[in-house]
Amino acid sequence: MQDVPPSKPPRIDGRRLRSERTKQLIIEAFLSLLRESPQMPTAVQIAERAGYSVRSIFERFPDLNALRVAATDYSLAQALALAPPRGADGNRQTRLRSQVNTRAHTCERGIALWRVLLQFADQDETGQLKQRVARGRETTVGRIELMYRPELSTLTEEDRRQLLIALEALTDMESWARMREHHGLSFDEACEVWIHAIDRLLPPTPAVEASATADAA
Amino acid sequence: MNDGLGNTSVASPDKPLPGKPAPVDGRRLRSERTRRLIVEAYMALVRENAQMPTAAQIAERAGYSVRSIFERFPDLTALRVAVTDYAIAEARAYSALRDLDADRMTRIKSQVHQRGQNCERWLPLWRVLTSDASLSPDLEQRITMIRQLIVMRMEMMFKPELATEPESDRRKIVLALEALTAFESWARMRELYGLSVEQASVIWVRSIDRLLPATPD
Repeated sequence: MQDVPPSKPPRIDGRRLRSERTKQLIIEAFLSLLRESPQMPTAVQIAERAGYSVRSIFERFPDLNALRVAATDYSLAQALALAPPRGADGNRQTRLRSQVNTRAHTCERGIALWRVLLQFADQDETGQLKQRVARGRETTVGRIELMYRPELSTLTEEDRRQLLIALEALTDMESWARMREHHGLSFDEACEVWIHAIDRLLPPTPAVEASATADAA
Repeated sequence: MNDGLGNTSVASPDKPLPGKPAPVDGRRLRSERTRRLIVEAYMALVRENAQMPTAAQIAERAGYSVRSIFERFPDLTALRVAVTDYAIAEARAYSALRDLDADRMTRIKSQVHQRGQNCERWLPLWRVLTSDASLSPDLEQRITMIRQLIVMRMEMMFKPELATEPESDRRKIVLALEALTAFESWARMRELYGLSVEQASVIWVRSIDRLLPATPD
């Protein structure tokens, strides 16, 4: 048995690294095409944008559905990395602004992919797209629960559930898209609509929490 | 006067004799009836399968040939536009404003009942319409019209409360109400959370009540 000298760094597999990089570039090409046009791009368009052949795409992804799944995983990871929970210990207004700002950026970046996911989820026999849609929703609701914990904790289980469903509907991707695309609101104007509405929907902040955050300030 | 086909006419169909009822154009009536049956077949298939039907499926359901469809509609997008017009007319006929002068809670419940019924009835068609509406300006125009009708109705139903707010806040509330009571919101409650119509309605009633300003005395 031969021992590897402990000081030697592990060998880097250059071919694997290149292949991973190619996958990433294909995914980024797919996402950038989606942002430009809401239609699902063709393999030819993706290949052209990424600077590879169509064959290169299908060497790495068995079909376009696998590419959609990979692009979703990539986007979810990116969204989590770019949007860590901020201001969760702040006062009500700070938390409102922080949550809305994070959610708005996620919607702004993710609406095109989200629409494609919903469009193809029913056709995906592997069930992977539906799984990602569910995970995206769970992440959104989880964030809402975290950011409004003080207010939600004052409610009964049933009331909390009902309020979470309403908050989820209000801050849905399509809700954001409607304000931006249909009503022509700026990013900040659309954020104000959500802040105003969430503030009305949430119950009063409990006194202990309110005084604690006032002391901290 | 004989037209050479054995039919005797005394006046041009365009110019009926004074006092005589205008003649019925049987061919045109039959053609209108065929169009309507094709539209109804389309709607029935969408409700059953929640997918855009093919020309062959529509023809089979309506009892006509595929050729008959394309004699009346240049393509399936034109048929979708006709279906939308039919749906808008039907929804308007069944959505008369009720309880406009009633107290706050009666108006909220009336609005939620009507909106819930419409979502229940039209959700499959809405999904098919909006799935790739960007491909057709006519379809986009209809979708905009539907959204405007929904918003106008809410503005009428909650006029007393909205009238108490300055223009900018009123707009924010209406946009939030629109998001809250969107088709997507109803679909999520019914399909994802498995709520009954009554349970879903309770969430909307409570949320609208919180979003609306106080009713003036």
